[in-house]
Amino acid sequence: MRRLVKTPSILCLTASLFFVSAGFADTSYQALLADESNGADWLSYSGGYKSERFSPLNQITPVNADQLKVIWAYQMQPTGLSGAGLQETTPLVADGIMYLTESPSSVTALDARTGRMIWHFVPDISNDVLNIGFPRINRGVALLNETVYVATLDARLFALDAATGAVRWETTVAENSVGFSLTLAPLALDGKIIVGVSGAEAGVRGFVDAYDASSGERLWRTFTVPAPGEPGSETWQGDDWQTGGGSTWLTGSFDPELNLLYWTTGNPAPDWNGDLRPGDNLFTCAVLALDPDSGEMKWYFQYTPHDTHDWDANQIPVLVDGEFRGEQRKMLALANRNAFYYLLDRATGEFLLGEEYSYQTWAEGIDDNGRPIVLPNTEPTREGNVVWPSLQGATNWFSPSYNPQTEQFFVSNRRMGAMYFKADAEYEPGTPFLGGGEQAFDGDDASGAIISLDVMSGDLQWEFELQTPPWSGVMATGGGLVFGSSNEGNFFALDAEDGSALWNFNTGAHIRTNPMGFSVDGQQRVAIIGGQTLFVFGLD
Amino acid sequence: MLPIRNPLKTSPRSKVVLLFALAVCTSVPASGQDLESGQQLFQTLCARCHGILGEGGEGPSLKRAQLTHAPDDETLTSIIVGGIPGTGMPGSRQLRGGDDLDVAAYVRSLGRLPEEPLPGDPAAGQLVYQSAGNCSSCHIVDGTGTGIGPELSDVGLRRNAAYLRQSVVNPEADQPRLVDRFRGSLNAFLTVRIVSERGTYEGMRVNEDAFTVQMRDVAGNFYSFDKADLISYEKALGHSFMPGYSTALNQQQINDVVSYLMTLRGEN
Repeated sequence: MRRLVKTPSILCLTASLFFVSAGFADTSYQALLADESNGADWLSYSGGYKSERFSPLNQITPVNADQLKVIWAYQMQPTGLSGAGLQETTPLVADGIMYLTESPSSVTALDARTGRMIWHFVPDISNDVLNIGFPRINRGVALLNETVYVATLDARLFALDAATGAVRWETTVAENSVGFSLTLAPLALDGKIIVGVSGAEAGVRGFVDAYDASSGERLWRTFTVPAPGEPGSETWQGDDWQTGGGSTWLTGSFDPELNLLYWTTGNPAPDWNGDLRPGDNLFTCAVLALDPDSGEMKWYFQYTPHDTHDWDANQIPVLVDGEFRGEQRKMLALANRNAFYYLLDRATGEFLLGEEYSYQTWAEGIDDNGRPIVLPNTEPTREGNVVWPSLQGATNWFSPSYNPQTEQFFVSNRRMGAMYFKADAEYEPGTPFLGGGEQAFDGDDASGAIISLDVMSGDLQWEFELQTPPWSGVMATGGGLVFGSSNEGNFFALDAEDGSALWNFNTGAHIRTNPMGFSVDGQQRVAIIGGQTLFVFGLD
Repeated sequence: MLPIRNPLKTSPRSKVVLLFALAVCTSVPASGQDLESGQQLFQTLCARCHGILGEGGEGPSLKRAQLTHAPDDETLTSIIVGGIPGTGMPGSRQLRGGDDLDVAAYVRSLGRLPEEPLPGDPAAGQLVYQSAGNCSSCHIVDGTGTGIGPELSDVGLRRNAAYLRQSVVNPEADQPRLVDRFRGSLNAFLTVRIVSERGTYEGMRVNEDAFTVQMRDVAGNFYSFDKADLISYEKALGHSFMPGYSTALNQQQINDVVSYLMTLRGEN
């Protein structure tokens, strides 16, 4: 007969282990600075401030990858909120505890060794919450000093006690009633929490915010669309800036040596009718270099001036150090939704490289200043105009991965065109402000791939073809692998050297998130979410 | 490097005037919904499958007083926003907040238009279907026939006469999609040719991912392959196993069989 009550000695041992685990979880700013080289933990959304999404762990290799198996799985907890259920979170792991979000904005802490739940936090979100232009999802939490930070669909920011999930503070970032939402994983810096907003499809004016990590007090706000008289305002006319878009809905990167925060911005509003907002529409579809202490913009680079295809630049800016054309540089690499791969000098914003990495029909190329040479007749029209890529882009929010050891840049690549339409649009707060739409080419007319680029040149090294355009990211490892996934539910490992498939597992549901890696009990683990299930894989 | 530019004085522009002009041009129906706006959104987001005038195509004609999946306005609006699970009908969540009501009002207005007349005699068409056409050798209607091609029991709800005529005369002209909102979409009934060490296989693809492909041959045998084991794998885009009937049937027979198919509404 099994004992139902633990013996005192077991209780003591359990308490001791828990105490050791909780007592030594280091989620300090110093730990975040070392996140890239710390294979055991995964302390921030992209696995470190450089956003490499690279796990240095090397137990799993091309030789043994075919022995990967499910170690444990966790089923997400439905909240009853209609329309929620797509999972796009990247779990974090700190000293054996995993923290993840569940759509729309719940947070769960799990034992990373077994998958058993430690606590579960569900913010009270009304079924009437607005999410205009995107699903009811969340991409993860931030960790800092034993506190878990989560941004919510109804545009609030919560600080939770990491041990219990208890609310330390909450604050309202913006008004959901006019279309603001928060779906991103916050970024924790030294004593600050950085967040951005979604909502350009409702005609919001985007911004980046910094909050005091201890109190929740807002420290600064930097708008992505300038008011009259501010730098960049010459690229707008009349009152267009007030509904100009420029959402900031994806987590940025940080260079502690340069003390610069890099944050990307989304489309101008309305999306597809550029007649209603003449000009370059700064600082939309751009990357901004911000002073994290003041929010002051040090430089910017606009990838797609006067965008009319909804090609947000909300992709992960990856910080790369190395020799570019004979000169040692600190760089920022980004595979843009517009089908071009860019390298910038991240100290100055200087444009270094812009190369097509995916089939596109809208630009002849990128000029010496980094401005696209736009082909004629590629704007949306009333009758419809065929352009590649589709509005979902040649890639999207899901993460690329960079292996600094081999200087390979891996991208989940969508290969899909669309018929773009232009329509009228009139701004009304809290309603769609679109000005058109698309009919994407689907079926076997669309496809996808995982591609490997030479980070310094953008040259294609190999590709692994996917049946349909993916909606999930990639992660390279120190063991010479690239993990990726597909809409069809495959989670797979590729040989980073040549892209050959080494292993795959059918999760049985669509995958639309990023892989991440950690170790527990000295064993390398890789995690992915298929449908509503988090799977953790390992060798033993 | 692109430095932050100094602010320049902006020139006034005419957006307010433009919006006013648009408002004047826009008709507002008695229902309070903006039919013109609904039509424009419909043509942008819905016309690819339902036809530019709602006459149908790959999707059903909406020129019907009663819509099968949308018996009331609330359900119709819900479908416009959220789609119909398990079918090719995707949702357009961006329409929430008012535009969905405009599109719903426009779709309802289509139902007040006269229904498409049948081009022939359905009873005669049923005979053609069963005899000269030998259609049941590949299709199932109301439980009868062989399931090699698509089931046709409710095809009259899902297609219009022009699309069905095209399918009978030239089935290769269009390949419908198997749409899964999350898993991506595939061409349905795609002809494939697979060569492995076990032999050569021709048939219709059932499913596929990056690592495997499933197919069924014309005899109904099901096969599953790992792509890594294949010698070759060819997709015959634009090919159909169904023969065209432009010469096997005369015009009257085609009109009749199309009419018969239009009466198949899943009611048996």
